[in-house]
Amino acid sequence: MLSLTCPSVDLSQGGCLRLRRARPLWRSRSARSIGARCIVSTAQDDVRSGGVATSMKPAVSSSGSIQVSSLLEVVSGDIKRLNENLKALIGAENPVLVSAAEQIFGAGGKRLRPALVFLVSRATAQIAGLKELTIQHQRLAEIIEMIHTASLIHDDVIDDSGIRRGKETVHQIYGTRVAVLAGDFMFAQSSWYLANLENIEVIKLISQVIKDFASGEIKQASSLFNCDATLEDYLLKSYYKTASLVAASSKSASIFSRVDTSIGERMYEFGKNLGLSFQVVDDILDFTQSTEQLGKPACSDLSKGILTAPVIFALEKEPTLREFINSEFSEDGSFDTAIELIHQSGGLSRAQELAKQKAEMAIECLECLPESEFRNSLEGIVNYNLQRID
Amino acid sequence: MLSLTCPSVDLSQGGCLRLRRARPLWRSRSARSIGARCIVSTAQDVDVRSGGVATSMKPAVSSSGSIQVSSLLEVVSGDIKRLNENLKALIGAENPVLVSAAEQIFGAGGKRLRPALVFLVSRATAQIAGLKELTIQHQRLAEIIEMIHTASLIHDDVIDDSGIRRGKETVHQIYGTRVAVLAGDFMFAQSSWYLANLENIEVIKDFASGEIKQASSLFNCDATLEDYLLKSYYKTASLVAASSKSASIFSRVDTSIGERMYEFGKNLGLSFQVVDDILDFTQSTEQLGKPACSDLSKGILTAPVIFALEKEPTLREFINSEFSEDGSFDTAIELIHQSGGLSRAQELAKQKAEMAIECLECLPESEFRNSLEGIVNYNLQRID
Repeated sequence: MLSLTCPSVDLSQGGCLRLRRARPLWRSRSARSIGARCIVSTAQDDVRSGGVATSMKPAVSSSGSIQVSSLLEVVSGDIKRLNENLKALIGAENPVLVSAAEQIFGAGGKRLRPALVFLVSRATAQIAGLKELTIQHQRLAEIIEMIHTASLIHDDVIDDSGIRRGKETVHQIYGTRVAVLAGDFMFAQSSWYLANLENIEVIKLISQVIKDFASGEIKQASSLFNCDATLEDYLLKSYYKTASLVAASSKSASIFSRVDTSIGERMYEFGKNLGLSFQVVDDILDFTQSTEQLGKPACSDLSKGILTAPVIFALEKEPTLREFINSEFSEDGSFDTAIELIHQSGGLSRAQELAKQKAEMAIECLECLPESEFRNSLEGIVNYNLQRID
Repeated sequence: MLSLTCPSVDLSQGGCLRLRRARPLWRSRSARSIGARCIVSTAQDVDVRSGGVATSMKPAVSSSGSIQVSSLLEVVSGDIKRLNENLKALIGAENPVLVSAAEQIFGAGGKRLRPALVFLVSRATAQIAGLKELTIQHQRLAEIIEMIHTASLIHDDVIDDSGIRRGKETVHQIYGTRVAVLAGDFMFAQSSWYLANLENIEVIKDFASGEIKQASSLFNCDATLEDYLLKSYYKTASLVAASSKSASIFSRVDTSIGERMYEFGKNLGLSFQVVDDILDFTQSTEQLGKPACSDLSKGILTAPVIFALEKEPTLREFINSEFSEDGSFDTAIELIHQSGGLSRAQELAKQKAEMAIECLECLPESEFRNSLEGIVNYNLQRID
């Protein structure tokens, strides 16, 4: 049994953490090969290299722009410990997993999700007068990153993706078999650790996330090229695939800090709105960045029939867009035309408004937290995300 | 380490049970195409398989006096019917993409042995506690175990790139890898969620333990023979053990009975696995519904082989060479038959079966206990 009071992680039970999210933060969609190049916004100053997850790449070109690394500095020790634990967990288990793990861990993710867990943990711990994070907080962060990574691995199989963060995926290198197995293993691993936290409420919260991941994938898969998809459908799908995890992990962090449930609820809403804001920004960037900047073909969602906020807004203004989508871009040049229509229709601006709206709601939710460097970092992350589309 | 001659195997809390074996009951291995035909034992007259339905659940039709599985499960047939309805509704409610896959999955003729075991243990232990009816938790537990089983099967087929299960095409084959991974993930996720909402920490932890062992065992491709054996049994027995114990927990009986039920499930699971491993060598491709000796062809070494290796050192070279030489596979199979490996495996299966039956002694006499005993014996009958 894993002892929760012992700081040295008992890795004998095989914790396997597969942390591997290609990029950008929330998506796994890799491309079919469509030649279209999305219009590059010159205002975009997040330089991406090798496809590292956007939101975690320090903004380097504007003075005054937010540096992500400084936002996470305040929990850098926590993240370092997390990385060590995760690596050890993989290494303990199996040579097949170890090689796959190297691929995964070497892929440059900035651990945004566990960072959020640490920030919310520390911010709420202050309220409760806790001096240090508990092992439960630590383990929660690891579990979250395990689940995230497991879902990425399966996403790559589902999407038949070959590239993530500019590197080949586990699926590509080791095959479907290892990818499905590895994902299953990590889900099982995270469930084991979750069970051993012995907190029913948290177990239920996180189990809901896993269920939501599956629901989100299925919802998306069954709605391709569907022009009748509403904004609500899109937000629900985004919630399932992205925001649910952040929301549940933020609330769980509060639970382990033993703060009042009302704060837990606020943290849930914070995570949810932050997650939605992130997703919308990612969806905008898919249209505004080049393939080089994204590290994968641009406009890949549209090419696969996944209709995101910019498209849904555009469809309201440009009915002709509907035909192109319905035809699944079978005609030559229809894809490029569709992209132009999306840009012209103001769909991107409206999506930007949506992202800002969610970001504002997220920031409001932080008001129940005392002023602290942790709260500042949380606000900073919300703003950093928006900066990606300024 | 698992000792083949020591009856007490410590599989407590570690066993990973992947109850999802394509077929026979506990295996999912589909074949590489190896032309070899295993020697068919003419004494094998039980279990006529048709279309690859999981053997142990196919009523034995050819011998009078042989155990009828359908009659063993009759006493919980209402429970199973309700389970089938719930599972279909659950999958169907989610999404049209899954509905067709669900038909394929749930229409495939499985006899719901695992949930049947949960219902039988539930009812048998409920009697002790004076419970008149099963609780919703019992019902949910049975659904959980069948969901995990089915999800594992679906993923196994992707992993093995299997096209046939129970004589029918697999979800993977018909709908593709994508739907198969999705459907499996959905069911795993749903089962985790149900499990969490049972709000019983002990049950949650037991299942998590079972699942992690199961998952880790799938990666064991290069360990020692002892490791292999331990893990291959983990794949099967530990979830049956966890579900039997959990059924007792929900009956609110004394923990000592829960422990006995855990041991019952564990030994039953082991016994089933060994029988499946024997049948892989003694039945023909037609009887199995998939190529015979497929485990060996894939380098998966089961009880008969492990025993054989103790007697026939030359066998080791064939295995190490991965049967690269012409005729080496056939020779290996002959060696296995000659070495007495099959008989020793049979003894092991019987041993585990006896231990399982002993574990039932804490239960009052009842039709449920009789059915549980019957299932243990039915399994052995497959290799008589």
